Amino acid sequence: MTNDAEIRKNIAVKLEHVTKRIGRKTIIDDLSFEIYGGEVFGFLGPNGAGKTTTIRMIVGLMRMTKGNIFIQGHSVKTEFKQAMRQVGAIVENPEMYKFLTGYQNLLHYARMIPGIGKERIHEVIKRVGLEERIHEKVKRYSLGMRQRLGVAQAMLHRPSVLILDEPTNGLDPQGIHDLRNDLHRLAREEGVAVIVSSHLLSEMELMCDRIGIIQNGQLLGVETVSDFVQNGGGKVRFSVDDGTSAAQVLKQNLAIEASSIKPDAIEVTVEHDKIPVIVDALVGSKVKIYGVVSVTQSLEERFLEVTGGKALVSFGRIDPE
Amino acid sequence: MSHLVALIQNENMKIYRRNSARVMLFILLGLVLAAGLIIKFNTPEPKPDQNWKQQLQQDNRALQQQMSQVKGSTSARNYLKSTIAVNQYRIDHNLAPARGETLWKFVEDVASNTVTVISIFTIIVVATSIASEFDTGTIKLLLIRPIYRTEVLLSKYIAALLFAVFSLIVLFLFSWLLGGILFGFGGATEVHLSYVDGAVRETSWTLAIWKIYLLNGVSLFMMVTLAGAIAALFRNGGLAIGLAIFLMMGSSIFVQLLSSYDWVKYVLFANMDLTQYTTGLQLRDDMSLGFSLAVLAVYYVIFVIFGWLFYTKRDIKA
Repeated sequence: MTNDAEIRKNIAVKLEHVTKRIGRKTIIDDLSFEIYGGEVFGFLGPNGAGKTTTIRMIVGLMRMTKGNIFIQGHSVKTEFKQAMRQVGAIVENPEMYKFLTGYQNLLHYARMIPGIGKERIHEVIKRVGLEERIHEKVKRYSLGMRQRLGVAQAMLHRPSVLILDEPTNGLDPQGIHDLRNDLHRLAREEGVAVIVSSHLLSEMELMCDRIGIIQNGQLLGVETVSDFVQNGGGKVRFSVDDGTSAAQVLKQNLAIEASSIKPDAIEVTVEHDKIPVIVDALVGSKVKIYGVVSVTQSLEERFLEVTGGKALVSFGRIDPE
Repeated sequence: MSHLVALIQNENMKIYRRNSARVMLFILLGLVLAAGLIIKFNTPEPKPDQNWKQQLQQDNRALQQQMSQVKGSTSARNYLKSTIAVNQYRIDHNLAPARGETLWKFVEDVASNTVTVISIFTIIVVATSIASEFDTGTIKLLLIRPIYRTEVLLSKYIAALLFAVFSLIVLFLFSWLLGGILFGFGGATEVHLSYVDGAVRETSWTLAIWKIYLLNGVSLFMMVTLAGAIAALFRNGGLAIGLAIFLMMGSSIFVQLLSSYDWVKYVLFANMDLTQYTTGLQLRDDMSLGFSLAVLAVYYVIFVIFGWLFYTKRDIKA
């Protein structure tokens, strides 16, 4: 981000000690953080951590037991209308009226906010690429088309805060790519604060500027994606013809311990400028090198590290390695 | 206020774009058509009666005798009295009673029997409108607009009542047209005789029919409000529809079972049928139109407060 400081000045959403109790159970415990205009904010957490509850409180579907939420300075509690004028959202799935056409759905939402005309509806339809089938009933739409219609209704009134719960769900790779570019453009060019929640962590990594991690209703931390990933330290993988002898060379010649040894590769945690030294040592000992790759820890691995690995159940596709 | 109109437009779109709206309309028109055809082909064409004056005089004498025998019930006496007065008016003004089915008589028959059907349909409409959005999840995208939940609920309620008014108008026009086609448009100029405050008056049939609609409409209005309140309370359309229709259908039985008790007059269903005051066949002598309206008003306020509270104050978990 080029002008970080400037962006930080514009607080779009502010949560102040937000707490939600249902019965004796505390669902959300004293959540406080800020989301700025012009950034894409990722909201991460295993199922049942309280992500959706938090989003529901931001958009006024649920009341908070304690604390307050401000959208562009308007309290959701006391200035509901002013606050909601600024918000566009998809909460969980984009559930639309299936017996209406896509266009009728958008018309329905446009009528609820003064000053949204037919031109704006057509503009949004074009933006999400639904021109051809907008006059068909929604029950004939694919999941991806419904998702795009959901994004369309959320953008309809030019909100300054856009909240998308699992927005890539059901989109094809091209659709995900387009959505990502669109969200970045909204944030960078129009200064919109975009809040995204997703289970696809690799997707989050590409989409978000900052992420907040929530578990058991508590905020574990808010970090920029680059900090979050780099905090893992620099790991380098050397693909070689004989892993065991390579590891021995490093131990004897350079006193470096390999963190993983396989027949065809070793992984070493070293500083950047040590890499040529290692290569020299290996070549000098007649070890054949096929490749040198810097292994950054993925968001997923880091996420599991931060949440203590308890999230395993909620991510179906984790490699056992 | 201007956005309330837009909200009602939205609700109308959601009511009439559903297939069920069309189905209900076809059922309604189908029922009227069936009733018309059955009456047309099952009643023999009556011959004009030259001696109708003697016949009515004879009737009146019999009714007079009956009246002297009935002692306790004022409502029964009122009913007999009004019939005698109308008969006498016919004799005095040379207005022969219509024989067989006529256009207006058909419209009247349809009016008093089909309003119940419209009540059921409107109960379905209001319960679906309020509760189905919780089932389908569309409530989430509906309530995150800069609009209070109170306004959303009000627009749904008004749209459902407009559906009832629309259905009544369609019913009136269709039954009039069908009555004319089947029984001749000649009957359209016939006068309607009603007995008000001890005197017989000639009134227009249109007014008389709408009076029936209006009186039946009170029970429609109350049951629709009850169904809406149940739907808002439990967020379950099926429950609201079932319960409201069950109560509406069963109400006359409950009221009859309880009619010997004093407190039955405070029961909603004992007061919903306001036609009891126009026919003179009221449930209890210590009840009056004003009393019933007051009882209805109390129930109405309770329904509205409960429905409103539960719709606006509870979290949306759908």
